[in-house]
Amino acid sequence: MNSKATAVRKTDVTTSTSARRQIVYEAISGGTGLLLALFMWGHVVLVGSILTGERGFDWLATFLEDYYIAQPTVFAIIVLFLVHAALAARKIPSQLKERKRILRLAKGLSRSGREQVATRTEHSPFRPHVESMLWIWQVRTGLVMLVLGSFHLVLMAMDILTPLYGEIAGIESATSMARVSAGLWLPYAVLLLCVEFHASVGLYRLAIKWGADLWMSRAVMHLVERIIFWVILFLGAVTLVVLAGWMDPPLAFLLDGAAS
Amino acid sequence: MSGEQNSESRRLRLEIFRYNPQDEGSEPHTDVFEVDETPFMTLFIVLNKIRETLDPGLQFDFVCRSATCGSCGMMVNGRPALACRTLTSDLPEEITLYPLPAFKLVGDLSVDTGTWFRGMSERTEAWIHERQAFDPAVQEERMSDDIAAAIYENDRCIECGCCVASCGVANVDPEFLAGAGLNRVARFMVDPRDKRSDAEWFDVVAGDEGVFGCFGMMACADVCPKELPLLEVYAYLRRKTLGARFSGRDRRQ
Repeated sequence: MNSKATAVRKTDVTTSTSARRQIVYEAISGGTGLLLALFMWGHVVLVGSILTGERGFDWLATFLEDYYIAQPTVFAIIVLFLVHAALAARKIPSQLKERKRILRLAKGLSRSGREQVATRTEHSPFRPHVESMLWIWQVRTGLVMLVLGSFHLVLMAMDILTPLYGEIAGIESATSMARVSAGLWLPYAVLLLCVEFHASVGLYRLAIKWGADLWMSRAVMHLVERIIFWVILFLGAVTLVVLAGWMDPPLAFLLDGAAS
Repeated sequence: MSGEQNSESRRLRLEIFRYNPQDEGSEPHTDVFEVDETPFMTLFIVLNKIRETLDPGLQFDFVCRSATCGSCGMMVNGRPALACRTLTSDLPEEITLYPLPAFKLVGDLSVDTGTWFRGMSERTEAWIHERQAFDPAVQEERMSDDIAAAIYENDRCIECGCCVASCGVANVDPEFLAGAGLNRVARFMVDPRDKRSDAEWFDVVAGDEGVFGCFGMMACADVCPKELPLLEVYAYLRRKTLGARFSGRDRRQ
């Protein structure tokens, strides 16, 4: 191609390399986010086995460990978690001044148009907008998860790979319940809320970013996001309450007739 | 009915940002004005009333009064909107007006959107890039209705700057293309008369200042007075760029 035909002005190699890299970062941060969100749904269902009682929980844990599913998964999730944190965090402005500016903007946008105005017409240009504030909360929940999630991942890795806690090298309901009821319910409740919020809003944003003109309308996507959030949060909360020993397993009858 | 008023008219209280960067003695502050609401009153009418009866020094921009020129964008209660298109009956009695952020302040509510849009146009080279020499004897090529309609849809942008002002990224990165810029890029990518290749577009679209600098906060689409399908435009640009990157079409021949 001759120089006359080179249309776009930013043609130097560094820009091009940077652009090529940016797109890979974006794809990896979106891809790892998607995998982590899908994993979290599976995670809630698996931990939810405590709803059938300790026997169901221990059977499932032993199954996943005996067939070496749990061990590589722990490693994979730790890697995904760190890669996602590093690449998603590249979007957070480094200067406090910049972050404050974005926060002020987001607050103004989500507040405006929500005032009680008796004369408001249906043609008001003030369409509801919450997604800027949701982004701010994604950053906040992400930072909380970086701390509490790291703690949880290390604890689980030690549980699964070493006989340090409990009788065996593996997850045991007795150890988990003792921990949760002893006070870990509090950080776990915070972690649950952060994870489910971050994951459902993240999936909504990912779907809009790559397919706003495909699949479904934005309003439907937002609705799906909120339904997923509340359903998974409810499931996780009940699981946590049972793990803390404040409630008997509500699905224990499922295993009533099962051989031990 | 649109603009229907209560029997007793409201008294609007407007808090307006004041600052003249040209005047060394001027300090940024806000002034409060009170105006009686009248039927079908827009912010355009309110501001003119204030300038005529209360403060002749108030600076703000207007040309068309019909959401076509894009001059009267301002922050209305924290959100970018066109003053001419905003009925006071849609707003509470307390109204706060600030100039659009992300642009250079001219004075009070008036900002210089022109410099930003010129910079964006130059960086994206927002004009048709034709490779063939012009031949006046040859008839123009035909364009399908679908493509013409798609181009027209992108071209409805009035460059008011509301999307830029609402964008978290554009507020901290003056080079970011934001809604108006990415919409402009898509307009020329769709146009078959523009002969730029994927590789030539790649740096503009994929870089930090392009679509991958976007946080996905979606405010641009919610404040756009022309309700342009901006989110759809970004999704199109993302997929097209990703396709180019992983099929090798991003490299110049």
